[in-house]
Amino acid sequence: MRQLLADLMDAAAGRADYADVRHVSSAAESVATRNGLVDVVRHGSEEGFGVRVRIGGAWGFAAERGSSKESAESALERAIAVAQAQPLVPGAGPLAQELPARGSYATALEIDPFEVPLEEKLALLLAADEAMRGDPRVTLTIAQFSAFREDKLFASSDGALCHQRIVECGGGIVATATSEDDAQVRSHPGAHREQVAQAGWEHFAGLDIVAYAPRVAEEAVALLSAPHCPAGRTTLVLDGEQTALQVHESVGHALELDRVLGREASYAGTSWVSVPDLGALRYGSELMNVSADATCAGGLGSFGWDDEGVAGHAFPLVSEGMLRGFLSSREAAAEIGLERSGGCMRADGFSRQPIIRMTNVNLAPGDAGSLDDLIADTDEGIYMETNRSWSIDNRRLHFQFATEAAWEIRGGERTRLLRNASYAGITPEFWSALDAVCSESEWQLWGLLNCGKGEPGQAMHVSHGAAPARFRDVQVGVA
Amino acid sequence: MTNLELAQRALAAAGDGALATVTAERSLMLRYARSRPTQSTAIDDLTVEVAVLRGGRVGTASTNAADDDSLAHCARAAEAAAEAMAHSPGGNPYPGFPAAQPLPDCDTFDAATARLDAEQGGAALAEAFEVAEREGVEAHGTWTVGDVETAVASSEGVAASERSTDAFMKVVCIAPSDRSGYTTATARSVADINPRELAESAAAKATMTGDPVALDPGEYPVVLESHAVAELLVHLSWTTFNGLAFVEDRSAFSGRLGSTVAAPAINLSDSPRFPRTFQRGFDAEGVPKAPLPLIQDGVAKNVVHDTASGARAGTGTTGHATAPGGSPYGPMATNLVLTGGGASDARELCAPIERGIYITRLWYVNAVRPKETLLTGVTRDGTFLIEDGKVSRPLVDMRFTDSALGLLERTQALSSTPVLTSEGEFYGRRFASGVVCPALRAASMRFTG
Repeated sequence: MRQLLADLMDAAAGRADYADVRHVSSAAESVATRNGLVDVVRHGSEEGFGVRVRIGGAWGFAAERGSSKESAESALERAIAVAQAQPLVPGAGPLAQELPARGSYATALEIDPFEVPLEEKLALLLAADEAMRGDPRVTLTIAQFSAFREDKLFASSDGALCHQRIVECGGGIVATATSEDDAQVRSHPGAHREQVAQAGWEHFAGLDIVAYAPRVAEEAVALLSAPHCPAGRTTLVLDGEQTALQVHESVGHALELDRVLGREASYAGTSWVSVPDLGALRYGSELMNVSADATCAGGLGSFGWDDEGVAGHAFPLVSEGMLRGFLSSREAAAEIGLERSGGCMRADGFSRQPIIRMTNVNLAPGDAGSLDDLIADTDEGIYMETNRSWSIDNRRLHFQFATEAAWEIRGGERTRLLRNASYAGITPEFWSALDAVCSESEWQLWGLLNCGKGEPGQAMHVSHGAAPARFRDVQVGVA
Repeated sequence: MTNLELAQRALAAAGDGALATVTAERSLMLRYARSRPTQSTAIDDLTVEVAVLRGGRVGTASTNAADDDSLAHCARAAEAAAEAMAHSPGGNPYPGFPAAQPLPDCDTFDAATARLDAEQGGAALAEAFEVAEREGVEAHGTWTVGDVETAVASSEGVAASERSTDAFMKVVCIAPSDRSGYTTATARSVADINPRELAESAAAKATMTGDPVALDPGEYPVVLESHAVAELLVHLSWTTFNGLAFVEDRSAFSGRLGSTVAAPAINLSDSPRFPRTFQRGFDAEGVPKAPLPLIQDGVAKNVVHDTASGARAGTGTTGHATAPGGSPYGPMATNLVLTGGGASDARELCAPIERGIYITRLWYVNAVRPKETLLTGVTRDGTFLIEDGKVSRPLVDMRFTDSALGLLERTQALSSTPVLTSEGEFYGRRFASGVVCPALRAASMRFTG
C-alpha cells in the first residue's frame, strides 16, 4: 500500500500543483442497553481512498472505496477532473511550507477495546442500567459503549508518507424521569451518553458507571419537582464539562481560520474575530489561557500528523486573555502570512476531505483549588452541571446554553437543586467575566463526538481540557 | 451486479432471520465562498448492512466491501451480535422483520442528474459569481448532485430497490455592509435548479437599503419564510412525531393524540409520494411508505413508527424505520408536507402586521426541553422589520426561545404555495430529504436576545 500511494503521488505531481492521498481503514463498535435490555450491538467497517489535488488554486477531492490500485487511480482522475471543471481562483498563493511527514503514530493503550469480549461489555452496561432503575418515574435508562479504530496511511506530492493508528473508546449512562408534562435527564460522566477518549478499554472501565448510576437516577427524579432556575443576573459556576463546551463553541469555532476568512460563511458561519485582531484583541480576562494541543495524551484531537501532513503540535490561542493564534491549514496560514500551519486539517473518514478543525482546545487550569473550594469562595450564585442544550449564532458571539442540573449557591454552600437551568451571553463579555478557574486536580479532557462542520457534513471527534470555572454577572434563567 | 443482487448475496451469507441493505452513493458537491470555488467532494461508495434476528434481538454489522469474504465476515459479525443479545436478560421486544408487501411506484430518478456533471456545476458557480459581481456582493454556497440507490432483501421475502437522484444549490450573498441574503433550491432533477434566479434573490436580500435596527427582546408578530417553517417542523419530527419518543413518554404527543395542539389551519402529514417531495417507496425495513396525517385541522392525529416502536405502541409500523430492528433514535418522518393557505406569498402575509419581524431562516436550532417542544436558535441571512404591513428595513439577527407547537398554535395564516425546502446537509450516507411547506404568519414569537 505504501508503494501504491507513493506511485500515485508521483503520477499526480506532474498534473497538479499539490496532491495528497489517504488510505483509511476504519472500524466502529456500538453497544447499548435501554431500560434493562440490550438494545444495540453494532459493528461497522469501511476502507477507501481520499485523493485531493490543487490545480490553479481550485481543489478537487474524490473518494472511492476499496484498496486496489484501480480505485486509487480512479479517485485521482476524478479529483483532477473536478478541480479543472471549476472557475479559476485568481491570486491563489502557495501552501505554507512543512517538512514531509515521515514515520508512524499509534494511540497508547493498555487494553484494545475491540478485543474485550462482548459479554464483558454487556455485563457492565446491564449492571449500570439496572442500577438506574427502580423508581417508576425513571422511564428511560440507557448505558452506552462505543469504540473506534482508524488505520490511516498518508502520502503527498511533497514527499510525505506516514502511518497512524488511532483507537478511541468510551461511553456513559443517562436516566430520564418523566411526569405528565415534563421530562428531566441526568447523565454520567458527561452529556449525550459519551465520554470518549483516545485510549483503551481501561478508560471506559475507569468511568465507574455502575457506581454513579443510582445518583444519576435519583437526580433525574428530583429534578421533576425541583424549582425552576430563577431568571436574572448572578455569579455562575460551571462544571468542567460545560466549561469545555463553552470553550468549544465560543473560542474553538470562533478561531477557525476558514471561518475568520469567510470561507464557511454559507454554512458553519463566520467569526466575530478578524485577522488584524491577532495579538491585539482582548478575548477575556487575564485568567483565560487557551491553547490548541494535538499532543495531549488521551485527546480525541491528538495525532502524529494532521490530514495534510503537518506534525501535531501545541500553540497558544489566547494567552492571559489576549488573542494569540488561529486554528489553520497550510493554505489559510499562508494566506495571512503565518510561517506554518497550525496543523488543524482533519477529515471524517476516507470519503470526506480535510477541513480546518479543532484538535484539543484546552482552557488551562487556574489556582482556585477544587470545585468545593470554588463554591465555598462564592457568596451567591448558581452552579450548573452537564450540558443539555446548546446554541450559538453564526459569528460565535451570542450563545445560550442549558444544563441538566443546577444548584443554588448561598453563603459558599451548594444548596437547593434547580431544574431547567440556562444561561446566555456574548462571547468577549462572558470570558471577560471569568474570575476563577479550578486547579490542575480538577482539570480533565472532555471528548465530543458530534462536532458538525463541512459540506458534505463531517462529524469530528475533539477534546477539550477544562476545569470548573466561575463567571460574574451572567444572565441566567433565559429559557 | 445490481445493488439488489448484492443485498441478496449479503442476505445469503447471513441465512435465516436476516435483512440486508445496500446503499450505494455517487455524489458531487462543489463549495464556494467570496465568489471563488473553495472545496469539492466526489464520492463513490456504498454500505452493505446486515441485520440478524436471534431470539427477538437484532444485531447489525456493516461494510463497504462487496467481495464474498467481506460479506461473510459482516454476516458473522451481525449474527454474533444477535446471539449475544439473545442470551442477555429481558424479554423479546422485536416482533420480527416485516413480510414483503407490494410497493408503490415512485418518481425518484433523473438520468441527467445522475451524470454528476462537474462542468455543469462549474457553470452554475460561474453564473452565481457573475450575478454577485453585478450586484456588488460576494457569493457563498454549494452546488451538489447525488445518485443514491437503496436495495433491501430479507428472509421474509422483501426484495426492493429504489434509485433516487437529487440536486441542491444554496446561494448566500454577502454585501459590503455585511448584510446577507439566502436562497436554496432542491429537486429531483438538476434541470430544475436555476443558479441565476437563486443568486439574484439572495443578492436582493443582502442589498436591501437601510441601516439595520436592533429590537429589544420580547414577543413580536412574525412572518416565517418556508425555510424557517421547515426548520421548526424538522425538530418536531425528531422530538414529537417520533414513535419511540412517544412510547417512552418523551414526546409532546405522548398521551395527547386527539387533542388540539395547533391552529385549525395546520394540516401536516408525512406524504412520501407528494409530487414535490423526494419520493420514497419503502423504509429501512422494506415496509411500503404511505401518507400519514400527523396534525389534522390542528388536532394531533398520529406519530410515526417502525416495527419496534409500533409493537410497543400496539399499532404496528407505519413504514418509517430508519434502521432495521429500529434505530436507538427512533423512526422518522422524512416527507413532511404542510398544507398551504390563502395568502399569495410571504409578503402578503405581512399585510396585517403593524410592527413585527420577517425571518428568512433559522440557524443553530436546538431543543431546550423536547417534551415542551421548546427550541432556541437564531435568525440569519435575511431578517427584516415589518412596519405597517410591509418589510421596511434590515434587522439585527435575533435569538428566539419558543415552543414549536406553540408557534403552530399561534399561526394565523399560510401562503398558498408550499415549496420543497432543504438545508442540503448530508452527514453520513447521502439521504436527500426536504420539507414541503408554505410561509406562515404567527401572532407572536418569543425572542430572548
